[in-house]
Amino acid sequence: MSHDTHHAPVASKLDLAPERSDLGLLRPDRSTGLMDWLTTVDHKKIGILYGAFAMFFFLLGGVEALAIRTQLARPDNDFVTARMYNQLFTMHGTTMIFLGVMPLSAAFFNFLVPLQIGARDVAFPRLNAFSLWTFVAGSFVLNASWLFEFGHLAGWFKDFAWYKSLVYTDFAPANGWFSYAPLSGTFGQADAALHAPRFTGVGTDFWIIGIQILGVASLAASFNFICTIVNMRAKGMTMMRLPVFTWMTLVTSFLIILAFPAITVALIQLMFDRQFGANFFNPSAGGQPILWQHLFWIFGHPEVYILVLPAMGIVSEILPTFSGKSLFGYPIIVFSGAVIGFLGFAVWSHHMFTTGLGAVPTAAFALLTMAIAVPTGVKIFNWLGTIWGGRIRFTPPMVLALGFIWMFMCGGFSGVMHSSAPADSQQQDSYFVIAHFHYVLLGGVLLGLMAGLYFWFPKIFGRMPKASVAYVASGMVILGFNLAFGPMHYLGLAGMPRRTHTYHAGNGWETWNFVATIGAFILGIGVFLAFANLVWTAFKGEKCASDPWDGRTLEWSLPSPVPEYNFARSPIISARDAYIEHKHGGHKIGYENDGGEAGVHMPSQSWMPMLASFGFLIIGMGMPMMAMSVPHAGWMVIAGVGILFTGIWLWALEGPGGYMLKTPTGSASPSPVSATTSTH
Amino acid sequence: MFSRFFHRVGILVLPFLGLLMTACSRADLEVRQSTLDPKGPVAQVQYDVFMDTVYLVIVLFVLVGGLLVYAVARFRSRPGEVVKPKLEEGHGNPLVEIGLITASIGALVFIAIPTLSAIWYTDDVPQEAVATSKLSAWYPRVDASGKENYAKEVADQVLEIDVIGKQWWFRFEYPQLGLTSDAKRTVPNEIYIPRGKAVRINLRSEDVIHSFWIPKIAGKVDLIPGRKNYMWIQGDEVGHYYGQCAEFCGDSHAYMLFRCEVVEPEVFAQWVKAQKTDAVPVVAGSKAEKGKALFAAKTCAMCHNISGHFGAGNFGPDLTHIASRKSLAGAWLDNRDPKAQLALELKEKNTEASMPVDSAQLKANLIKWIGSSGVAHGADGKPTADVKPGNRMHYYKMFNVVGLRESHQKFTDEELDALAEYLLTLK
Repeated sequence: MSHDTHHAPVASKLDLAPERSDLGLLRPDRSTGLMDWLTTVDHKKIGILYGAFAMFFFLLGGVEALAIRTQLARPDNDFVTARMYNQLFTMHGTTMIFLGVMPLSAAFFNFLVPLQIGARDVAFPRLNAFSLWTFVAGSFVLNASWLFEFGHLAGWFKDFAWYKSLVYTDFAPANGWFSYAPLSGTFGQADAALHAPRFTGVGTDFWIIGIQILGVASLAASFNFICTIVNMRAKGMTMMRLPVFTWMTLVTSFLIILAFPAITVALIQLMFDRQFGANFFNPSAGGQPILWQHLFWIFGHPEVYILVLPAMGIVSEILPTFSGKSLFGYPIIVFSGAVIGFLGFAVWSHHMFTTGLGAVPTAAFALLTMAIAVPTGVKIFNWLGTIWGGRIRFTPPMVLALGFIWMFMCGGFSGVMHSSAPADSQQQDSYFVIAHFHYVLLGGVLLGLMAGLYFWFPKIFGRMPKASVAYVASGMVILGFNLAFGPMHYLGLAGMPRRTHTYHAGNGWETWNFVATIGAFILGIGVFLAFANLVWTAFKGEKCASDPWDGRTLEWSLPSPVPEYNFARSPIISARDAYIEHKHGGHKIGYENDGGEAGVHMPSQSWMPMLASFGFLIIGMGMPMMAMSVPHAGWMVIAGVGILFTGIWLWALEGPGGYMLKTPTGSASPSPVSATTSTH
Repeated sequence: MFSRFFHRVGILVLPFLGLLMTACSRADLEVRQSTLDPKGPVAQVQYDVFMDTVYLVIVLFVLVGGLLVYAVARFRSRPGEVVKPKLEEGHGNPLVEIGLITASIGALVFIAIPTLSAIWYTDDVPQEAVATSKLSAWYPRVDASGKENYAKEVADQVLEIDVIGKQWWFRFEYPQLGLTSDAKRTVPNEIYIPRGKAVRINLRSEDVIHSFWIPKIAGKVDLIPGRKNYMWIQGDEVGHYYGQCAEFCGDSHAYMLFRCEVVEPEVFAQWVKAQKTDAVPVVAGSKAEKGKALFAAKTCAMCHNISGHFGAGNFGPDLTHIASRKSLAGAWLDNRDPKAQLALELKEKNTEASMPVDSAQLKANLIKWIGSSGVAHGADGKPTADVKPGNRMHYYKMFNVVGLRESHQKFTDEELDALAEYLLTLK
C-alpha cells in the first residue's frame, strides 16, 4: 500500500494539493459545502446528517400519526379510507422505529462515541459513510412507496399495461410494522411464472426490501462501533471507565448484530415467497405462518432494547451532570444494561401469548418477561440514587431526563401487567398495548433523545438552544403525550382493538378517543417546536462556552464546535468521569505527545461509500417494480447489484489515502476550571 | 418563569392524568367490549390476575414515584447556590442494591403465582368443569320425536364449536350436533353457547391470521392457518355479547366483528333444532318469489347456501336463517332498532340486554349492503363507497373468481327491494 499519497502536514484541508487515489480519480478531500457533506467520512458530520434525517422522518412519522388520530377522533369517521389508514399506521410504525429512533440514536453514537473514548474517529470512517448513505437509500425506498401510492390515487398509471394487470393496488405497505404472514405473504399454489397469489400489493415488497437495506446500514454501523469501542479507546480508558452512554452503545451494537440476522433471514424468506413462489410461510403449501412470528419477534424484541438502551445511556450521562454527583452504582448500571440485552433475546414469545403456544412455553416466557423487569428496575433505582443527595440544577435536558424516568417507569408498569399472560390475553392487540409501548418508546425514548439533543447541542454547534422555548416545548410534549396515550389504557381495557380504522358509536370509546386526538396534536406541536428551536439554534443561536453544563466526560474538554481531528493531542485517562476529575479532583487528564506540527493523520474523503449505497437504492426501487411487473425492472435490479459491487470494488482499490493536519500546540489542555462551576 | 412551573408541577403531576382517567370513568367500564366486566370464569380469572398486577403496580407507583418526586423536590439546588460537584466514584451501595433487587423479585413472585395458576386454568377445559358440562349432563341425546341429537361417542365430551375465520367474517360450526359445512348447516357471525356450560372452541382460519375475542367471556386466542388452536369459554349470564377480530387481517379488519348469544341450555337446544330446519317455500306471486329468482340469476347462489332453496354455495355466509340474526355483514351492520336498543341498555344498566331483530332495519341494511357500489380499490383507483372495502362479494379478483364488480352486475332499486324481501323470509 503506497504512502506516497500522504501530504506534508497542512493547517487546513483547503491547503492540500489536488490528489489522486490509487485509481487515478481525484479525491474529494478539498471539497467544501455540499460536496464536503456528501463525501465526508468525519464521524461528527455523519452524526449530524443522521440527526437531520432522523428529525425529518420523526416529523413525517408524526404527520402520519396525526392523520391516524384525526381519523379516530370521531366514530364512523371517513377522513381516510380503510386502506389508507392501514398504510398510515404501517408507515408510522416503520418510520418511527427504523427512520426516526434508530438513526437518531446512531447520530448520538456517531458524534459522541469517539469523543467520549478519546479517539479521533471511528475505526472505519468510510464504512461509517456507507452506513449513513445506505440508511438514506433504505429510507428513500420505504417512502418511495408513498410516491407510488399518490401516483396511483392521482391516476398517473392508468394507461400502463402493468398497472391494469395488478390484482392489488396498495402501493404503500399496509401490513403493520410486523407484517404477519400470510397476510404479507402468499397463499395457494404458485403459477408457472413462480407467482403465488398474495393478499397484499407491492407496498409489502417496498417494505421488505426497504427494511432489508436499513438492516445492512445498521449492521455495518454496529460492527464499526464495536471495533471502535473495543480498539480505539485512549490510553487509560479502561472498560470500567467508559462513559455509560458508550457502554450502552456497545450493548446496543451487539444487540443489532445478533438480532438483525433473524429479520434478514425472515425478510429473504418472505421475499422469496412473494417473488419466486417459495413456500416458507404459505400455509396452503405446507408453510408455517407462525415461523414468521418467531423470526420476527426474536429480532423484534431485542429491537425494543436497541431503541431504549441508547436513551438510557443518555439519561445516565445527564443525571449525574445536573445532580453534581457521580452516577450511583456505575458497575450495576452497566451490568444491568448488559443483562437487559441478554434477557432481551429470551422473551420474544411474550408478543405471541395469544398464538396458542401451550401452557408450558407461555409460563416460561411469562416468567422470563417478569425477570427482565428486575434489571430495568435496577436502572431506575440507580438513577434515583444518583439524584438522591445531589444538588439538582434544572435545565432543559435535566427536565427531559426526569420526564424520561417518569414516563419510562409508567411504561414499565404496564409492561409488568403484560408479562402476566392471562391478563395479556385481554390486552394483546388492544389500545392498552398501544399505550404501553408509546409510554416506553415515546414518553421514554423520545424524551431521552430530546434530552440528549438539548444536552449535547451546545457541543455539536457551539450554540445554546433557547431554554424558554425548550421548556414550553417540553411541557407541551409531556402534557400532550399523557393526554394522548393515558386514555388509551382505558380504551384498551374497554375492548378497543388496535389497527382498526374506525369504530361504531355506542361502544363507549368516543370520548377518550377524542381526548387522545387533542393530546396528539398538542404533542405534535410540542415536538415540532422542540425541533424548530434546535434547527434555529444551529444557524442563529447564541454562542456558548465549550463546557456550559460543567460536563463530566471527555467531549466537554474539547472546543465547540469540535475540530475535525477531535483531540489535538490524544488524552491519557486516569479516572472514570475523566473531565470532572480533571477540573475538580486530583486525576488530571494527561496528553500524549502527538499532533502539533507533525500533524494528525486524517482519513481521505470518498465518493465510493455513497456509490455503493446508491446501488442499494436502485435494487430497492427495482425489486418492488419487478413485483409490479413493470417492464425491464429486473434489469434495474441487476444494474443496482452491479453498482453496489462496483462501488465496493472501487472503494477497495482507491487506497486508504489520508493526509496530515496540523493542530494548534497550545490547545491540548482543556479549558480552565474557573469557568465551569455554575450557579443556578 | 416557565422553568419553575414545569419543573415543579408539570413534569410530575401531569402523568397522573392517565390513572385519574381510568379511575373517573368507572361508569364507562361496563361498555360492550369491556375487559373489566367479566361474565364467565375464563374472563374472571384473567380479570383477577390483571387486578393483582394493578395492585402491585399501584404500590410500586406510589413508592418509586413518590421517592422520585421527593428526591426532585428535596435535592433541588436553591437559586444562587454554587454547586460543587461531589467526586467520589459511584459504586452504589451493595446493601441497597441487593435489597432492592430482592424486593423486586419478591414483588414479581406476588404476580407470578396467580399468573401460573391462571395459565393452566385457562389453557383447556378444567376437569371439574367437564363433569357438569359434558353433553350428556345437559343436552338430551334423543329428543321427543326419538331422533338422535348427537352420537353416543361424544356424550362425555363438552360442547365443541369450530370457529373458522375468513376475510372478514367468522363461520361457526357445531360438529357434534350436526351443524357443519358438510351438512350445509353453518352459522355465520353469531355464536350461541349454553349458559353455565364449558365449551371448547377449535380455532381455524382459511386465509390469514385472525383472533377470536369476546372480552366479557374470554381473552383472545388467534386463528392461524395451518395450525390447530383451541380455547375454552363459558358464559355465566344470559345475554347478547360483542366480539371482534383482534389480529390485523387486511383492509376491512375493523369490520370483522361477531356476536355471542349466551342462552339457557333448553333455549340452546331449540336454537340448534331451528338451525337444522330448511327455509320455508316462498309465497307464489309475491315479491319474495321475484327475489328468489334474482338470487339465482345474479349468481348469489354460487356462494351462499340457503337450505331448502339453493345448495351450491359454501364460500360465503350461510343465509338459511339470515332474517333471525341480529347483525349483518360481519356484524358491522346492526339489525336492531338502534334507539330502542340504546334505551334498553340504559334501562337494564347492562349492554347484554338485546332488542329483537327489527325487520325494517334489517331490510335497510340488506339494501345498503348488497347495493353498495363503486369499485373498492380496483384498477381504476376510485375511492371506496363500500360497506366493507375489499369484501369478496363485490370484489373477487384475488381468487380469480368473478365478483359482482367484475361481472358488472348492477341492481336496480326494484331488484334490491325484491332481494331484500326474499331474504327477510329466511327466518
